Amino acid sequence: MTVSGAPRPARGPALAFLGIAAICQRAYLTLWRQPILIISTMLFPLVYLLVLGNSLNRQLRHVPLAVVDEAANAESAACRRGVMALETGRELVDATFLEDREEALRGLRRGAYRGVWILPFRLSAKGPGPAFVGDNTDRFSFDALDGALRQVWDEVASGASPSAPPADSARLEAYPYLDYLTYLGPAVVCLSIFMGSMVSGGLQVLEDRMYGYHEGYLVTPISTGALVMGNVLAGAIVASLAGLLVLGAVLMLTPVIVAGSREVAAAVATVFLTSLAISAVWFLLFARARSVSVLRGMFGIINALLFFPSGALYPVESYPPWLQAISRADPLTYGLNALRNLLLRGSSPQTVFPEWIFLLTFALVCGILTRVLFRREI
Amino acid sequence: MTARGPSASEPLLDAPPFLDEPSGRPIAAAARRPVSIEVDRLTRTFGDRIADDEVSFSVVEGETYGLLGPNGAGKTTLIRMLTTLLPPTSGSARIRGHDVVRDRPAVRRSIGTVSQAVTTDENLTVEENLSVQGKMYGLFGRGLSRMIDRRLAQVGLSERRKQITRELSGGMRRRLEIARGVLHSPHVLFLDEPTSGLDPQSRRAIWEMLGQLKADDAGLAIILTTHAMDEADFLCDRVAILDQGRILCEDSPAALKRSLETGERTQIETARALSEADADAIAALGARSWRGLAANAAEFQSRPGEDVGRRAARLLEDRGHRIVHLTIASVTLEDVFFSYTGRGLRAE
Repeated sequence: MTVSGAPRPARGPALAFLGIAAICQRAYLTLWRQPILIISTMLFPLVYLLVLGNSLNRQLRHVPLAVVDEAANAESAACRRGVMALETGRELVDATFLEDREEALRGLRRGAYRGVWILPFRLSAKGPGPAFVGDNTDRFSFDALDGALRQVWDEVASGASPSAPPADSARLEAYPYLDYLTYLGPAVVCLSIFMGSMVSGGLQVLEDRMYGYHEGYLVTPISTGALVMGNVLAGAIVASLAGLLVLGAVLMLTPVIVAGSREVAAAVATVFLTSLAISAVWFLLFARARSVSVLRGMFGIINALLFFPSGALYPVESYPPWLQAISRADPLTYGLNALRNLLLRGSSPQTVFPEWIFLLTFALVCGILTRVLFRREI
Repeated sequence: MTARGPSASEPLLDAPPFLDEPSGRPIAAAARRPVSIEVDRLTRTFGDRIADDEVSFSVVEGETYGLLGPNGAGKTTLIRMLTTLLPPTSGSARIRGHDVVRDRPAVRRSIGTVSQAVTTDENLTVEENLSVQGKMYGLFGRGLSRMIDRRLAQVGLSERRKQITRELSGGMRRRLEIARGVLHSPHVLFLDEPTSGLDPQSRRAIWEMLGQLKADDAGLAIILTTHAMDEADFLCDRVAILDQGRILCEDSPAALKRSLETGERTQIETARALSEADADAIAALGARSWRGLAANAAEFQSRPGEDVGRRAARLLEDRGHRIVHLTIASVTLEDVFFSYTGRGLRAE
C-alpha cells in the first residue's frame, strides 16, 4: 500500500461477497431515495387489479336486444315471455319489441342493438325456428345473447313437443367461490414483480451503462461472475419488495385467506424466486445493450411474452400449442401457479417445490448465459 | 526531448528524460523510483481508424504524467486500455509489473480511476457512495470507515458526509469522485479531465487537493488527461502531447516551453520614434518577427528563456530612448500545444 495504515482488502470469495453486498446496498438505498419508483412499480399492478378485476368480474347486463315478432302465435308469445324473464331476472338484456324486421336490422347496424331476435311467420318447434342476428364485433355480448336465446327457444320448443326436458346435471365447486378480482390477485403480484425487476434490474443496468456509473464497477477487482450475480440479486430484492407490498394489498383487497404462517413464508419465497428469475431475464436481455431506448423498444414485447402467456388473465390450457410452448418456458407461469396454489387453493408449501426448482434453475441458466455474454469493456 | 518513451528492452529504473533537465520541481529522487506504468508500442484500432498508434512511455512512482491532445487524439482510448476497459490491438502495457491484458485483476487492484463520466450515484449520500465503492475493493468494517474519514478530510467533504450527492455543487461532486478514486489507496490514479466544466475557484481547489493528496501518498503515480494547459503546467511533472494517436513530444512543461524557437512575445513603446538601427540592434539580441505597431512602438518574438525582451529594453535605454511601456508575455504550454499539434496536422 502506498498509504501507511491502509487496511488490507479482502480477496477471493470474501471480495465477491462484499461486492455483491455493495451492489445490493446501492440498489436498496436508491429505491428508498426515489419513492416514486416503488410507488409506480406498485401502482400499475394495483390499478390493473382494480380496473381489470372489476370490469371483467361481473356478468353481462343490460345488453340491448330487438325482438321482431312476425309469428304472433303461442310459440312467439312464449319466446317473448322468455326474453322478458331475461330482462327482469338476470337483467341480461334491455329488450325492445318491434314489428318491422328492417327497422330492427338498421338499429343493429348503427349500434343501437347488439342483437336482433326474429320470430318468423309460422314459428313452431317443427320449423321454422327463430333467427338470431348478432353484432359479432362484440364477441362477449354475441355469445351471451346467443346462448341465452337458444336456451329460451329450447325451453319453448321442448314445452311444445311431447318429449321431456333433460334432467339437470350436478355441478360441484372444488374451492369456495372466487370472483375474477380474487382470481387476478396472484397475477398482479407477478405483474408487480415484472415491473419492479424492469425498473430496478433492466432500467438500472442500462442507466448505469449510459451515465457512467457502470464504469465505476468495471474497473474494480470484483470478478465478473460476482458483478452479474450482484446485479441480478439487487434487481430481485427490489422486485421482491414491490411484489410483497402488492401481495399485502391483494390480501387486504380480496377475500384470499392464507392457511398459516408456513403458507405465508412459502408465498414470500415464491415472490423472491420469481423476482430472481425475472431479474435474471432482464439482465440477460440487456447484457450488451447500451441505451435506454432498447428498453423502451422491448418493454411491450417482453410484457407480451412473459405476462400474458403466464395464464395471468386466461387459462393456459386454452392457448394454441405455440403459445403453450412459450407459457411452459415462462418463469411467470411457474411463479403464478405457485402463488395460486398457495393463496387460492390452500395448497401446502410442498406442492410448489417443482415451481421453485424451475424458477431457481431458470435464474441460474440466465445468470450463466449473462456471464458468457457480459463484456467488461466500454 | 524525446518523441517516444523508453522501450520495453530498456531498464525499468532508468530515469525518465525529464530528469535530465531541471524543471523546478523536487524530482531528483525520482531517478531511483521504480516504474509504475510502462507502455510499449500500445496500439488500438477501430476498423480502419487508428485511435492509438504505437504509443510508448513510462511513469515512475510519485510522478504526475499529463496526456494532452485535441479531441479524438486517442487519450481516452489510451486510458481505457490502461484501466482494462478496452483490449489493445497490439503492444503491451504493465501497471506495477502486471500486464493489462493477462493480469487484469491485479491491475484493477492497483489502480484508481476518475473518469470523465460522473460515476457517483446521485441518490446516495457522500458517505454511502464511498462505502459502496470501498466494498467493491474489498474494504469493510472499521478499515473502510477509517479510509472514508481520511479521504473525506483530504477532499474537504467531511462536513458533507451525510448530504445526498445530487445536492452537491459540481466542484464538490468532482472532489467526491476523486475521493472515490483513491479510497482504496491505489498505486496509480487515472484522472480523465478532472476539472472539465468547473469554475476557476473549483479548479484551483481541486489542484490544491491533488497536491495535498500527492504529499500524503508519496508513491502515487498519476496519469492526467486534460484540455486545460494551465492545469497540466501546474500539476504535471511531465506531459506528452498526443495527436492522431501518436505522441508528438514528451517532457517536463518547462523543458517543452524552452524548446520552442519563438513564442515569448514582447511589446515595447518608447517616447520617440524607433529607427531601423534600433530594430537591427534588437534583432541582433535574438528578436524575431519584428512588427512595427507605430512609429514609437513595436512587437517581436524571441526564444523562451533568453530574456530578450528585457535586454532589448535596456539596449534602447542605452541608445537614449525612454521606455514608456513594456509588456513581456512568457511562452505557455498552450503555445507548445499549438506548435506541436499544428505541425502534426500539417504533416498529415
